[in-house]
Amino acid sequence: MELSRRRFIQLGMASAAMGGLAACSTSTSGGSGGANAMDFWYWTDGLSKNVVDDAVKRFTEVSLKPQQIGGNFKEKLVTTMASGGKFIPDITGIKGEDFASFTPQADRFQNLLDLGADKLADQYLEWKWKKGMTKDGKLIGLPIDIGPTALFYRRDMFQKAGLPTEPDQVATQMSTWDDYFAAGTQLKNAVPGAFMVSEAWAVFNIAVGQSKARYIDENEKFIGDQDHIRHAWDLAAKTIQLGIDAKSQANTPDWNAGLTSGNLSSLTGAAWVAVDIKSAASGTSGKWGVAKGPGGTANIGGSFLAITKECDKPDEAFKIVSWILSPENQAKGFTDSALFPSTPATYKMSALTGPDPFFDNQVTIDVLGKAAAEIPVQYESPHDQEVSAPYQTELTNMESNGKNAVDAWNDAVAEAKKVAQRVGVS
Amino acid sequence: MRMTLQRPPETVPARSRPSGRRRVLSHWPQYLAISPFFLIFAVFGLFPVLFSLYLAFHQWDGLGEMRYVGLQQFRFLLEDSTFWQSMGNTFIIWVISTVPMLFMALVIASLLNSTVRFTAFYRIAYFIPNVTSLVAMAIFFGAVFSTNFGLVNAVLHALGLPTGRWLTEPLGMKIAVASVMTWQWTGYNAIIYLAGLQTIPSELYEAAKVDGAGPVQIFFRITVPMLRPIILFTVVVSTVTGLQSFTEPQVLFGTNTTLNPNTGGPGQGALTMVLYFYHQAFDNRNFGYGAAIAWLVFVVIMLFVAINWRIVARRSS
Repeated sequence: MELSRRRFIQLGMASAAMGGLAACSTSTSGGSGGANAMDFWYWTDGLSKNVVDDAVKRFTEVSLKPQQIGGNFKEKLVTTMASGGKFIPDITGIKGEDFASFTPQADRFQNLLDLGADKLADQYLEWKWKKGMTKDGKLIGLPIDIGPTALFYRRDMFQKAGLPTEPDQVATQMSTWDDYFAAGTQLKNAVPGAFMVSEAWAVFNIAVGQSKARYIDENEKFIGDQDHIRHAWDLAAKTIQLGIDAKSQANTPDWNAGLTSGNLSSLTGAAWVAVDIKSAASGTSGKWGVAKGPGGTANIGGSFLAITKECDKPDEAFKIVSWILSPENQAKGFTDSALFPSTPATYKMSALTGPDPFFDNQVTIDVLGKAAAEIPVQYESPHDQEVSAPYQTELTNMESNGKNAVDAWNDAVAEAKKVAQRVGVS
Repeated sequence: MRMTLQRPPETVPARSRPSGRRRVLSHWPQYLAISPFFLIFAVFGLFPVLFSLYLAFHQWDGLGEMRYVGLQQFRFLLEDSTFWQSMGNTFIIWVISTVPMLFMALVIASLLNSTVRFTAFYRIAYFIPNVTSLVAMAIFFGAVFSTNFGLVNAVLHALGLPTGRWLTEPLGMKIAVASVMTWQWTGYNAIIYLAGLQTIPSELYEAAKVDGAGPVQIFFRITVPMLRPIILFTVVVSTVTGLQSFTEPQVLFGTNTTLNPNTGGPGQGALTMVLYFYHQAFDNRNFGYGAAIAWLVFVVIMLFVAINWRIVARRSS
């Protein structure tokens, strides 16, 4: 029974995987390139391409075959791994938002602690290191980058509103969410049409990230109706009530326009949002500042490298992975692909300590590096994303349809509970 | 009965069996020639269909063990308000795209039918949207419907009409998705109608003109009734494609957020049934639940096909 079912699945997924591979990979893919071949999957700007190319030249004991996989990375990885065949990569990237969903299948990956990773633990931020672990203490992902959150703001707009403009002063005056919202009201009154907050979700998501727990606890129990989530919800609802919410979703034309004109005067977001702002509002160089965010620091995004069970030479693979993610190479990752390093030693390197003209020559690592160390350790369940979806939907219902805050909260919790029940969380 | 009586009684049962098998063997080049379709269909069509039915009774994340859960996925589905919302969205989008689309196609076809010059140019021009990349189109429409800098709001503003938040309000989002579909399929349907128009004998039009009928009367009294079978064909095709709309909302509203992609934009206002299936299966890795959604979508579409079929049968009898 067990055997025939597995066989059935393998047959089924093999066909799907072949379709997927035919579309996305070159003939060099798969373990067919000789016994020495080591397949390595990542996505564009998931790692510095220069570092990866150097690794190919440096580690000649194996023939490392890096591939940038386009499209939905998780979908392709899951289908390929389900096929169980030789197409499974030896080394693969796993995106931060997908990582937790892979932890139930930890036995499909090498435990990096068995390969000597424990010696490297003190190189990486502790909370990020723990994020790469399963509940029973296996390390399946070595940290690539992180996404510490901060407050990005327009110095010129803050000046117009009579708010402080220097990062330290901004951080002091807006250390709590309520202070930040009060500043938002002041901004709105001084400059009609200017908004402090991009969207309610940006506040909610960060506020959840600042607390000690998320929607589901370590015992896989739903806790999305408890105070810490309710607190984040109330904060997000308040931005709508106060009218300081621009209701612009990130990376939409309206968001870009708001950043360019200054009507979207500040944003709370992860370090990588700086890259989005630079491309959305390239004409505003020199007008921006980065300060420690209100209410503390959270992490959004940030990926991992993992070695699969199918890898023939895990020791060699681990050597490559740990070299690619060494503090020196993470500095290159920051320069080439704007990956915020997960190794604190990198924060003192020249690639990061330079002033950034876009932020009025501010040394942004002073703010972001400190933030990176303050991120709380949270348990993220494999079903975290799914369970969070109803909150996002109901916040948008409040934002764009004027749905009543109490109804929206009740509906969000009821729906999240239903999702939790469906995926097997009690 | 008569056939068997005419044949020689002994030879038929004796020969028919081996000759049938031999006939298959002797025609092997022909069977080989048509086999690629059936092989590919079996692997990429039939097998996934059957496998998805098997999946619908299991819980599976794509990598771990499959767990048999009986009808539980369907039970959850019937209580899943998001699914019912997606079904409502799909129907609204389908109605506000199909009705203007088919009407405009008919008008365009009669105009094309009466043009004398540049006929090929006009036909190609109307057909081009149908062969344009849907992804490129959706991105283009995303810019057109943008709140602050979109063409639609600019025109509304110039006319002194109230502007809308097309990409964040539930109805606006559905209109945006429906416009992409209308734009893409109007020309295609117009070409089909045009082919139908050319089969209508010109004597009918001449007789109508002699009797003093105007162009509007001719359109509604002659063109539309004569085209009925073709209109029914386009309605059926539009139903099947419209109820499976996926790419338009996926591209228009898919990439706004990395955390929960493909949930149909703000408030899930443009979440269609097929997009919800895709989200559950490939974003959340609930392959069993995704399969259950796909089968419910199938049932819904079958229901519509049955309604269509009843209408066609009644009209023709």
